[in-house]
Amino acid sequence: MSEKQVIIDVGDGAAIPRPEDKGLLSAWWLSFLGTLAVLAYLLIFHPDPYLRLLKFLPDGIIVTFQVTIASICLALLLGLLAGLGRISRNRIVNLVASTYVEIIRGIPLLVQLFYIYFALGRIVRVPDMVAAIIALGFCYGAYMGEVFRAGIMSIDHGQTEASLSLGFNRSQTMRYVILPQAWRTILPPVGNEFIALLKDTSLVSIIAVSDILRRGREFASESFLYFETYTLIAIIYLLITLVLSKILSNVEQRLSHYERR
Amino acid sequence: MKKIVMMLLVIASMVNSAWAQKEVVFAVDATWPPMEFVDAEKNIIGYSIDYMKAAGEAAGFKPVFKNVAWDGIFAGLATGKYDAVCSSVSITDERKKAMDFSAPYFKVRQALIVSKKSQVKSLAELKGQKVGGQIGTTGYFAIKAADGVEAKSYDEVGLAIEDLNVGRLAAVVCDDPVAANYALNQYKDTLKIAAIIETGAVESYGIAVNKGNQETLDLVNKGIAAVIASGKDKELQQKWIGQ
Repeated sequence: MSEKQVIIDVGDGAAIPRPEDKGLLSAWWLSFLGTLAVLAYLLIFHPDPYLRLLKFLPDGIIVTFQVTIASICLALLLGLLAGLGRISRNRIVNLVASTYVEIIRGIPLLVQLFYIYFALGRIVRVPDMVAAIIALGFCYGAYMGEVFRAGIMSIDHGQTEASLSLGFNRSQTMRYVILPQAWRTILPPVGNEFIALLKDTSLVSIIAVSDILRRGREFASESFLYFETYTLIAIIYLLITLVLSKILSNVEQRLSHYERR
Repeated sequence: MKKIVMMLLVIASMVNSAWAQKEVVFAVDATWPPMEFVDAEKNIIGYSIDYMKAAGEAAGFKPVFKNVAWDGIFAGLATGKYDAVCSSVSITDERKKAMDFSAPYFKVRQALIVSKKSQVKSLAELKGQKVGGQIGTTGYFAIKAADGVEAKSYDEVGLAIEDLNVGRLAAVVCDDPVAANYALNQYKDTLKIAAIIETGAVESYGIAVNKGNQETLDLVNKGIAAVIASGKDKELQQKWIGQ
């Protein structure tokens, strides 16, 4: 009997609710309704710091989303290139892609942010939001590269063989046969990375990008209400990630409709 | 008899020094040259450090300095992590609501630093441009009070100055001794002080203590008064600021 391999997947994002987790008492619903209740309580009964702070934040939320979406697009592009590069038979392409992944995964994201912003700032002047997007895109691209590689390799080799025998060449096979199928395997980890990226955008506050955290810090430094500020910031991040993880779970459910379990 | 007298004298001097050596822990954001900064051996030095040491000698306390990041320095004071903040804290009405201040120990004004190529002479001319300052400082509040200017907050003033140097900012606003230090030393080829921002009010530094901490406040006030009376503050100003 073959041994069943146990794969432990510690995702970075909020636990994406499984379809079995229906019903009001699931962890997701509990967190979501609980957080909303706390937020409503704070806004209604203590409007003085909390409502004032909430009015201070909307442009920070917009910046956070802008940085997240731009970074995820860049990361997907780089991830696809890195993943394909690592599978490639061309030695040079493979080496370049593997080195990229190794280096980026070896440096902490915060250090990469500082580096791109300040060190490169002396060579080529990069505006702060662009530096943030580049740093986040490069960092997450390396992780996406691994996800893409695993997804592509999970497709049965028979598909490639059949496609080649039908007259497609290698790149057409990849484009029309493999990638569309791999996408279904790739989507859940990509979704997880998207949520992790949203939380990591809080790091860009260090290079003076006015995201949610930066706005919160500015408010706290003027009003000295540190506890209240960070409570509200945490609640807002939590609500955003909970909503995104629910949307992701629904998308996954739809995609797995055709898989018989 | 002699022995007993000697013993009593020894004990008396030990007890006396135990009283005299009350430690006061000051939190310092040592990124604000020449008032407080770190030297090559990572010691905290600067005008405020020497001032507090002199005040301590006069009033009978031993100052201990802790390097703490500016953003959060007041939160630490409120939770009792240290006794006082000696970090070029300007005395303002908003801050007086959250903490108590000692007598002022230094008069300060806000300076506008720009690139040498710039012709700007005041904050009002920078409408629509980016001006930077350290988060939570009176310099940053001055930028936010100016109409139409885009304010950018930095964790340390040195990062803002570097961004000005590279061209991401049109100007930086900070306290005039710090501005002088940057514009006349490291960045003397690229930056200059365009103007002193007159707000009409007198701004001074004070030592901040937690509300109600009268004991530390009295010690510090005693020390400051002694330093001013002895003229040591002028001496230190000459040494660190050069005027």
